[in-house]
Amino acid sequence: MILKISEVLKPEAIIMKMKSKEKIAVLKELVDHMVDNELVEDGEEFQKALAKRENLESTGIGDGIAIPHARTDAVKGLVLAFARSEQGVDFSAIDGKPSHLIFLIASPVDRKSEYIMALAKLSRLLRKQEVRRLLKDADNPNEILNIIKKNEE
Amino acid sequence: MKLKKAIFVLTDSNDQHVAESAIQLCKKFKSKLFVLFIIETGRISRLARLTQKKSDMLRKKIEDEGWQSLYLIEDEADKTGVSTSLHLENGFATTIVKKYVDAYNIDTLLVKRKNETKKLFVSSMVPVIGL
Repeated sequence: MILKISEVLKPEAIIMKMKSKEKIAVLKELVDHMVDNELVEDGEEFQKALAKRENLESTGIGDGIAIPHARTDAVKGLVLAFARSEQGVDFSAIDGKPSHLIFLIASPVDRKSEYIMALAKLSRLLRKQEVRRLLKDADNPNEILNIIKKNEE
Repeated sequence: MKLKKAIFVLTDSNDQHVAESAIQLCKKFKSKLFVLFIIETGRISRLARLTQKKSDMLRKKIEDEGWQSLYLIEDEADKTGVSTSLHLENGFATTIVKKYVDAYNIDTLLVKRKNETKKLFVSSMVPVIGL
């Protein structure tokens, strides 16, 4: 199975300018946005799963990136969302820098391999400095998707 | 011996098979577990020569495998309540490990016992546990 981030991430799951400034509020804004766009059914349960994970370890991976993630039956399939924060959000990243690019990944509990694969692909993609720069400068969701598509080929 | 911050170093996705021991050790000592996958300098070109595949394709494949190993370990560690920090680097294993030990005050190095990791046992400035 070839998993493509650009196919899993939907334009309606992209927030170009995040309003929230604090980690838990950011997660809530992302989850609410996904619920509003009918990408997630049980928003409350989903948020709980994400917060539980954040309490155990930081999902800020450095270089201005955070990838909050969880396996939870609050989602029916592999889901991805993306948000950009101008001021940056403290995800307790190992390099101490705020996160400006936030990717959220979740899958049902029994779809572990797909979930791990998505996390791996996204992490590899975001290691490229040029990709991070392009994502920061993009003007709209379709541009974000095109950048990902071009760079994951 | 202190064991507050341990680093488990992988140089191959097969090393993941001893991750359970690393996790259990960290659980017992209530340590934070850094998990570091290193793609050693020269590995991609060696593989490219052996397999006749393009270096770019091999790099993508090995990086994907590396990240998958890291996230699988994180998933297992989560179940036991062990906190992890995941990292993937390219370069010389001894140099990278030294950088991490210094930067994050790592007190114990955990590695799979194999020929390729002998140099880590010899060069490490902190105690090494072979798994």
